[in-house]
Amino acid sequence: MITRRDVIKAGGLTLCVMLTPEGYKVLKAQELPKRYAPNLWINISRDNYLTVYVNKSEMGQGVYTGLAMLVAEELDFPWERVRVRPAPAGRAYVDPKMGIQLTGGSTSVRNMYEVLRLAGASMREMIVASASKSLKVPREKIKAKNGFIMVEGKSYPYGDFADLAIKEPIPPKPRLKEPKEFIYIGKSVSRVDVPEKVEGSAVFGIDSFLEGMVYAVVERPPYFGARPLKIDASPAKRLPEVIDVFPISTGVAVCGESFWACQKARQSLRVEWSESFVKGWEDKDFERYFLQKLKDKGEVVKVNGSPQKVFEESPIKVEETYIQPYLYHATMEPMACLAWVKEDECIVYAPIQSQTWALEAAKRISGLPESKIKIITTYLGGGFGRKANVEFVAEALEISKRLKRPVKLIYTREDDIRSGYFRPYSITHIKASADKNGNLNSLTFKIAVQPLLGGNASVEGVANTPYQIPNLHVERIDMELPVSVWFWRSVGSTHNAFSLETMIDRIAYQIRQDPAELRLRLLKHNPVAYRVVQTAMEKSGWGKKRNLGIAYHYSFGSHACHVAEVSLEKGKVKVHRVVAVIDVGPITVHPDLIKSQVEGAIMMGLSMALKEGVSFKGGGVANTNFNGYEILRMDEAPKVEVYILNSKREMGGVGEPGLPPIAPAVANALLWAYGIKVNRLPIKV
Amino acid sequence: MVKNFELKINGKLYKVKAYEDEPLLWVIRERLRLTGTKFGCGMGLCGACTVLIDKRAQRSCLVPVSSAVGKEIITIDGIPSNHPLKRAWIELQVPQCGYCQPGQIMEAYALLLENPRPTRDQIVQRLSSHICRCGTYNRIIGAVEKAVKGGKT
Repeated sequence: MITRRDVIKAGGLTLCVMLTPEGYKVLKAQELPKRYAPNLWINISRDNYLTVYVNKSEMGQGVYTGLAMLVAEELDFPWERVRVRPAPAGRAYVDPKMGIQLTGGSTSVRNMYEVLRLAGASMREMIVASASKSLKVPREKIKAKNGFIMVEGKSYPYGDFADLAIKEPIPPKPRLKEPKEFIYIGKSVSRVDVPEKVEGSAVFGIDSFLEGMVYAVVERPPYFGARPLKIDASPAKRLPEVIDVFPISTGVAVCGESFWACQKARQSLRVEWSESFVKGWEDKDFERYFLQKLKDKGEVVKVNGSPQKVFEESPIKVEETYIQPYLYHATMEPMACLAWVKEDECIVYAPIQSQTWALEAAKRISGLPESKIKIITTYLGGGFGRKANVEFVAEALEISKRLKRPVKLIYTREDDIRSGYFRPYSITHIKASADKNGNLNSLTFKIAVQPLLGGNASVEGVANTPYQIPNLHVERIDMELPVSVWFWRSVGSTHNAFSLETMIDRIAYQIRQDPAELRLRLLKHNPVAYRVVQTAMEKSGWGKKRNLGIAYHYSFGSHACHVAEVSLEKGKVKVHRVVAVIDVGPITVHPDLIKSQVEGAIMMGLSMALKEGVSFKGGGVANTNFNGYEILRMDEAPKVEVYILNSKREMGGVGEPGLPPIAPAVANALLWAYGIKVNRLPIKV
Repeated sequence: MVKNFELKINGKLYKVKAYEDEPLLWVIRERLRLTGTKFGCGMGLCGACTVLIDKRAQRSCLVPVSSAVGKEIITIDGIPSNHPLKRAWIELQVPQCGYCQPGQIMEAYALLLENPRPTRDQIVQRLSSHICRCGTYNRIIGAVEKAVKGGKT
């Protein structure tokens, strides 16, 4: 773990970035007041390397690259000499806007953009100041470029002045570059994590090792909400390499000298499980229960005007019920964690999106204070929200504490899907109406769903829709079930964009009005959203090509509009091409990262639209591997074109906003091309 | 049940103790710590664990270690860094999370051994047996095509 002492000892120039009540400050490590905690460390070493300790998790979104390039930009530093290291867990590294250490909500670059540039610029001015003194040349005659101080035809690496630069004061207002001076921002620098991921040497959580470590798997209940009552492990314990079998809070831990020994041992386990409310439930039972609860009075989140009255009086009406299943994240790296709880120290290696929550679990289970706990964030083999839930870290800690040895816990694919933390199941009832020109004049939206974020996620994307809807009623029924739910890339917008955006097309379809033109009318007060839709129409050949469907959605600070071109082939939906337009606000930091995030979000959203849904049998998951829970594959992947727009407003997010519009765009294309109405996902034709 | 085995991986001999029916995957990545070979599903459905056994792509999660004895096993670590596939993968910035990529590269490598000039359709058909949750499919196709053309696009 990096401490103030470590960085001072390491030499070179180290700055840290810290949030104070007056906003961000750049400080020298030596000046750091004890009661303050920095959010980021940046070091230039004597041998001229820049190291950025990033407090965000790299799960494929390119955050290591995106954050480090901001520092390198202002510092004017060669990209091949930039290194990124994960910051440890601790109060010091919390996200200043969230108050915890969490990678999520498409916020990383947005929250850190200004301060990282400021830090880089400060560092550069300090290097220049110290070069000026040691070379006895006025500052005006010094150029700092590409990691070198250039003066009178000679050049010196920044690192030569790193030790001395510490003595320079932090500039109160360093000069930031003008956009025309940018060497990295707006350009697609190569990703720092790509070479080792191609070599196979990148270390994920599951690739962690400690001397003397053993393995564990956890046998989980066959239905949600149960815990082990009685365990017969005698045959299991007789197998070679098996160490122990015992109950933990989430199931039965099977421990051995090898992973395979654990797997073999669990096959002969006999476990008696406690009862549960959903024991015996199948898919139809969820549907019945949710439909029944949907009749209850829920919490009214928003009311504008008189939606009921306007609905009754309007010439065009749409009333629909949408059913959307539980969704599994399916990170390709299943949950895995290496933990070691010792008497006086606790070590965790894990692929986690929240270091704060892992730290809390470690404190709770080990009984040790934060200073004795070391949490190492590895690369994440996919996150999509799932790895912000750290129950797998808690399990590994619990097992290690009992065995007094380092333990690597690995979820099999079946364990992973059976552990839950799904995108919640939902049933939505929508009533909408329009005047004779198709202008949407009322919307009554009611959803039954297990709440996340205190219920805010349930109505995300509807309560805050940019569409102008004069009469609006948004209501949610908070469902309670033992099936665990969690954030799934783009969260509530996954289900709400689908119901809202297909509903818009149902209205347009009734009066055979162009659904894209209808959206433009609904967005005419919002020039940014308007231009996104307009651009998607232009780029996709809207009005000229057949079999197109459109959808627009605003989430995580960005506006996105997708047009999908579909056909039915042998009774299956084939998506040929997707045109995606995203407005990310004033700056395109790294165009290729945005592009790859939008491409990936479209594949995941299309997978959701066409294939995915957790199925239940006996109250537990019926489709426990990729033969039952299918994921979109290469032969089903459409061509994707991504267009990035900028607008003068606050910065928008990138990781999630590309997902919500794809499923409704496909469904809308099916409606217009084939008259197929999709009210249930995944789409079946 | 637990026995000693000798395996030849990337041209090197390894002595290892394992269960006879233990999948090669777990022997390679956990007992021998060659972690470039990834666990994805354990049922041969996702391709993350793909290795070459006697020049053919195999799902190492389905191959018992006992049947791999005396065979030439190649893993991602055995593909040189300057191989056209690895170079194309970097040039096109294919990986996102990166977890499935070793398996994808091994499958592409096996494909090129069998058919040095596959068409786009052949590439897609072959690699559709692999899952990439990050959705890098189009870039993977581009990278294989690039490697086929000797690095030119």
